[in-house]
Amino acid sequence: MVDVLTHVFSTFIAKGGQVSHVRGGLSSPCSALVVGDRSMSRSVLLLAALTAVSRRGMKVLFFTRTQIQTLPPSVQSCLPNLSPDSLKMIKFCYPQTLEELLLQVASLHEPVNTSPTAPSLVIVDRLQNFLCGPGGGGGFHQGEQSCAAHLSALLLDTAAFLTQVLECRAPGLAPCRLLASFQLELEAGPADPGHPHPVLAVLDRYFPARCTLDRDESYAAAAAGLEEVWRVDLSGAGPTDPTDRTSQEWQLVVFTNGLMEFRSV
Amino acid sequence: MRSFLPAVAEQLFKDIQKIYEEKSQIPDDLLIALKFVFGSCAVQALDLVDKHSVTCLSSPSGRKAFQVTGGSGRLYTCFTSCHYCPCPAFAYAVLRRNDGLLCKHLLGVYLSQAMGLTQQESVSDMYISTLLAGGAAAS
Repeated sequence: MVDVLTHVFSTFIAKGGQVSHVRGGLSSPCSALVVGDRSMSRSVLLLAALTAVSRRGMKVLFFTRTQIQTLPPSVQSCLPNLSPDSLKMIKFCYPQTLEELLLQVASLHEPVNTSPTAPSLVIVDRLQNFLCGPGGGGGFHQGEQSCAAHLSALLLDTAAFLTQVLECRAPGLAPCRLLASFQLELEAGPADPGHPHPVLAVLDRYFPARCTLDRDESYAAAAAGLEEVWRVDLSGAGPTDPTDRTSQEWQLVVFTNGLMEFRSV
Repeated sequence: MRSFLPAVAEQLFKDIQKIYEEKSQIPDDLLIALKFVFGSCAVQALDLVDKHSVTCLSSPSGRKAFQVTGGSGRLYTCFTSCHYCPCPAFAYAVLRRNDGLLCKHLLGVYLSQAMGLTQQESVSDMYISTLLAGGAAAS
C-alpha cells in the first residue's frame, strides 16, 4: 500500500519538487493506516482510489458508512480530467454497522466478488465509525480492542487471499493492497506516546505502515498565506528489518482554490 | 499460518516439525523450550493437539480458516495469515496487556500444523464467510 500512497504523493508533488527518500527508505507493505483529520483522510483515500483506478487500472473497493455524493473540491482539483469510466472502477459499499462490514469483507472471496477480476485495492474509510461506540463517539468500550483486532485481521487475511487470486489470474495487478483510515476522537486529547489510544494500539499491531496527517499551524505556514498545511508522515517497517521503523515526511498544502499539492520534506 | 513470531518461536516450531516427522514425539528439551517461550498455555495447547481439536476448513473459492474446539466445546475461528482469536485470553493477555504472544488456541494451530495433526474439512463459501465474520454458521 505504501507504493500506492507514495505514488499519490509523487503524482501530485509540486512542480520542480524533488522526491527525496529518507535514508534506508520504506519496504512496501501492502497495508497502511491513515491517521488524522477525518475530511483530509477521506480526501487522501479518494485520491488514492482514483489514482489507482485511473493510472494503474486497478479494481477498487471503497467501504464507508456515509454516502459520498460528490468528490471533495480538493480531489476534483487534482484530477480535473477524470473519466467517468474511472469512477465506475470503484465499487462503493455502505455498511452501516460493524457486523455488516465484517460480513461484506468476509464475503469478498466468493466468486461473485472475484470474477472477472479480484479487487487490487480495498479501502475502509473512518474505522472509528465502526469500532468506537455509537456514531464513533468518544469513550472506550469493552471489547473495542477485540473488535478492532477481528476487523484488522479479517481485512489482512482477505487481502492475502485476494493477492493469491490476483497472482493466478492477473499477476500485473497483484498484490491486493489495503488502506484504512482512523481518526482519534478530539475529546481523547493529545496523543500520549506512553499511553496510546487502545484501539489505535491494536490497529498499529496489524497494519505494518502508517500515514499520519497533522495540521501544521506554525507561524511559517500561516505567514505563507496558505489555507491549510499538513505534515504527512509515512512510517513503516524498514526494508531489511521489519522491527526497524523508518519514515518519509511530506507536506500537503491545500490552497484556497481547493488545489492539493504534496511536497517532499 | 504466516508467522509474525519472534525468530526463537519460529525456530522452535521448525525443530518440532522436523523431530516429530522422524520420531512421532516431542523430546523433553523441546517441551521445556515450548513452556519457556509460551508459558502455561503451552501445556493447554498440547492438550488441544492431543484431542485433534484443530481443523482447517476449506471452501470451493480456496479460502481457508482454522477452527479450534476449546475445552468447553466452544468453537474458535482463527485466520490463516495473521493472529486473531475471539477467545477472552487473546483479548486480555495478547491485545490488552501485551504480555503473551499467543493464546492456547493459536498456539494449538501452530503445533498442530507442525505435527501434521490438523483435521481437514470442506465447507461452502457462504459457510466460511459467516465464520470469518464472527457468526455461528449453521451446518
